[in-house]
Amino acid sequence: MATRVKDVQTNVEDLVTAREARAPSRQPLAVPIDQPVTFPLELPESEARLRTPAVGQRATRPDGRLHGLGQTQYIDDITFPHMLHAKILRSEYAHARIVSIDTSEAEKMPGVIATLTGAEVPENSFGPTYQDQPILAYPIARHRGDGVAAVAATTEQFALDALEKIRVEYEPLPAVFDPLEALEDDSPKVHGGDTNIYTSKVIKKGDVEAGLAASDHVFERRFSTQMVEHVPLEPHATIASWDGNGRVSIWSSLGRITLGREDLARTLQMPQSRIRLIGTVVGGNFGGKNEITNEPIVALLSRKSRRPVKAIYSRGDEFVSSTIRHPFIMDYTTGVDNEGRILARKIRLVLDGGAYCSWTGTTIGKGSILAPGPYNIDNVLVEAYAVYTNKTTTGAMRGFGAPQVCFAYESQMDDMADALGIDPLEIRLRNGFSENSLSPTGQSLQSVALKESLTQAADRFRWKEWQA
Amino acid sequence: MRPMNYIVPESAEAAVAILAERGENACPLAGGTDLVVDLKHAPGNINALVDVSGLEEFRGIDETDEGLRIGSMVTYGEIMEHPVCIEKTPEVVAASHTVGAVQTRNLGTIGGNLVTCVPSADSAPALMVLDAEVTLIGTNGWRRMPIEDFFVGPRKTILEPCELLAEIWIPGHTLGKPSSFYKFGLRKGQALALVNAAAALELDGDRIVEPRIALGAVAPTPIRAVKAEALLDGQVVNAKLLDEAAKISVTESKPIDDFRASRNYRRQLIRTLTRRVLERSVEIARERQEKDKLH
Amino acid sequence: MLVELTVNGESRSANVPPETTLLKMLREYLGLTGAKLGCDVGDCGTCTVIVDGVSVNSCLMLAGRADGCDVTTIEGLATADELHPLQQKFEEHGALQCGFCGPGMLISAKNLLDTNPEPSVFEVRDALAGNLCRCTGYTKIIEAVIEAGEMMNQEQATV
Repeated sequence: MATRVKDVQTNVEDLVTAREARAPSRQPLAVPIDQPVTFPLELPESEARLRTPAVGQRATRPDGRLHGLGQTQYIDDITFPHMLHAKILRSEYAHARIVSIDTSEAEKMPGVIATLTGAEVPENSFGPTYQDQPILAYPIARHRGDGVAAVAATTEQFALDALEKIRVEYEPLPAVFDPLEALEDDSPKVHGGDTNIYTSKVIKKGDVEAGLAASDHVFERRFSTQMVEHVPLEPHATIASWDGNGRVSIWSSLGRITLGREDLARTLQMPQSRIRLIGTVVGGNFGGKNEITNEPIVALLSRKSRRPVKAIYSRGDEFVSSTIRHPFIMDYTTGVDNEGRILARKIRLVLDGGAYCSWTGTTIGKGSILAPGPYNIDNVLVEAYAVYTNKTTTGAMRGFGAPQVCFAYESQMDDMADALGIDPLEIRLRNGFSENSLSPTGQSLQSVALKESLTQAADRFRWKEWQA
Repeated sequence: MRPMNYIVPESAEAAVAILAERGENACPLAGGTDLVVDLKHAPGNINALVDVSGLEEFRGIDETDEGLRIGSMVTYGEIMEHPVCIEKTPEVVAASHTVGAVQTRNLGTIGGNLVTCVPSADSAPALMVLDAEVTLIGTNGWRRMPIEDFFVGPRKTILEPCELLAEIWIPGHTLGKPSSFYKFGLRKGQALALVNAAAALELDGDRIVEPRIALGAVAPTPIRAVKAEALLDGQVVNAKLLDEAAKISVTESKPIDDFRASRNYRRQLIRTLTRRVLERSVEIARERQEKDKLH
Repeated sequence: MLVELTVNGESRSANVPPETTLLKMLREYLGLTGAKLGCDVGDCGTCTVIVDGVSVNSCLMLAGRADGCDVTTIEGLATADELHPLQQKFEEHGALQCGFCGPGMLISAKNLLDTNPEPSVFEVRDALAGNLCRCTGYTKIIEAVIEAGEMMNQEQATV
């Protein structure tokens, strides 16, 4: 073992030597403002880059060659003999009770081998935190993207034609779309009960009211962000094949196959040992493929039809039926002294959860902890609420709530700098975290390079010149 | 896509005859960049496609004594690379360049764009400021009209059932006329115009002659801003005059509120884009005057 | 209907229903799964192939339209001996992450370099405007295209 470690070290040294040898030829960034930036941009070598063999190196992927040759196999590139194609009918209403579903006409359509409704799903609920989401909505549809029935046919077009023959009788229910309205007592309740709030989080540090009272200036503003779809270029895709021994093999574009297998075992009501879940190469995830979607539907259609079944989401399905980023409504109240030092920050976050919980638990946690920003503030209060609405389900997406709150606190830093006549960079340096700063939840932070990064970045893009 | 018949007619007359025979279940197919999408997602009752994209009568770009003839089935990609278009109708080339992206421009045809007749069609304003005309062929033979008369409403043209757009003619006297086109979309590639604008004019000394302003995505069809044109006609060029014309062109428009932009935002775009196309056209006219002086 | 194509230099044909798109024919009838279905409406560019020298969205083109045409797909870029310079440079730069946009991106880039071997950054961006990538932010892709162009020019010069 010892020799192996030594080998690695030698390699690192070689790399550093090689980079040092190259270093003189690299010129610092010096592009006059009035000239267009040339390409590719040459960046100066920093000490840190020379110390590590990883930072600043080109990353060449092991699968890069197959990607470039067009030989990587994504699910839609896989096909089996006698394979069927599945399509899912979506709810006609944002909120409705399904009175009846009649698939008999659809079953008579050419090429149709099997149909499926929510009532046929062994355990019709799933979700990474709360199991509040149906595989196929029944008896309540809670948003337009909810599937209500599925068809497996010999071609995609036959399946699409058959969807039009499925008769669903709905009893429309009052719906709520605005997360603030959803908070009100008399709003329609997406999952019944007496509230649409399904998760909340409070973070308290110091005494926020006293801090605000002691401030020279108090800034208040509401910020909001919109829905964002991940738009992976490969849509959600699944193939399921139920074999003669009662085992099912599922090829899925799912990112978390261990969690996925648990959810499959639960929804199909069969032991995990009977389920083989194969995570294939994924054509873009970004958080949108972190939980099962159509896998149980395709598996059950395969069991009914005794054939392999493939389902690829259309781009439309992808937008309405896969998860999206939570829109946030963020109320920020921040007290500062005359020098722009933040004395207190009070924040209320309302997360538009859409119809089901999905990864809201992680999102509300990260969003709340990060909401005050990377600033030393003695008095903090964060109250966050996630509410159900009759809209597309919000879930995991890169950053889990961090980008939303960043937009709010950084916008307010600019507001404050502007009002107090302080340079926007300076106000951040005055308040920013440094080594051993405590996060709002009391964590002592290490390796904090915030101020150095800000200063270096400002130098690089010549912040002072732009200010002049 | 649902089952379709795919028919390649031998001539324009044959295409019209096939369409007449098959009735409303048949549809002419040009580049397909709009139609194929519709057929996949909202097919209606169409069961036959008559592919007119290769018909000789609808192809080619030719300069004649009468002017420039652009076949309706010429693609944007072909316009962008045609030396005569580049030299004499640069703003039609510029408008073509703003449509979709390379792949869609290589399929999409200028005639298809006009027939689809969305208010934001990029080629329309560019052709309107050059006093372009169109020729149509139908069961009653050929007819010809100014391009403005071709547009009737959103997605509605003057074409009779079974009638096809055959050619676009740019008259000889407007070839090379100083002109300019700007489009504003939410991104550069693959975006529909929030507003697009084109202008063309000549300068007689310092006076504006034959001014033309056309706007897209500001009304149910692409429109000419005739009041703004009247204000400019015969007047001495100055910055205030051009801005005044731009302001008037806003009053001639009826932009809508939709998910892409608000009415108010579009009104501001109309004024800015109109002013810019006028300024640019004047600039080109001035450069031309300078050149002529040197010769 | 019988559709006959020259695909990557080889004569290929298939009997397809008339409503079949060129993309479907390539993927399902000819087994060329390199070109992908991403949006099915001509926006994302994953289905890009070259037909008679120009790049097109094969999801919007009926196979019948391509009858008799010369088609180049991603499978036709490399030879048995070596990668196309674009493939080499994309690999070196890590220009493909999930890879789903790759075949279309490379074909669009090839279409550009075939006519313009020394493109500017603007020209590369313009040429790739119809190819969406959600992973990379495009920077590595643009670098790779420009370097591939340089490599092809050098190869030309040494021939």
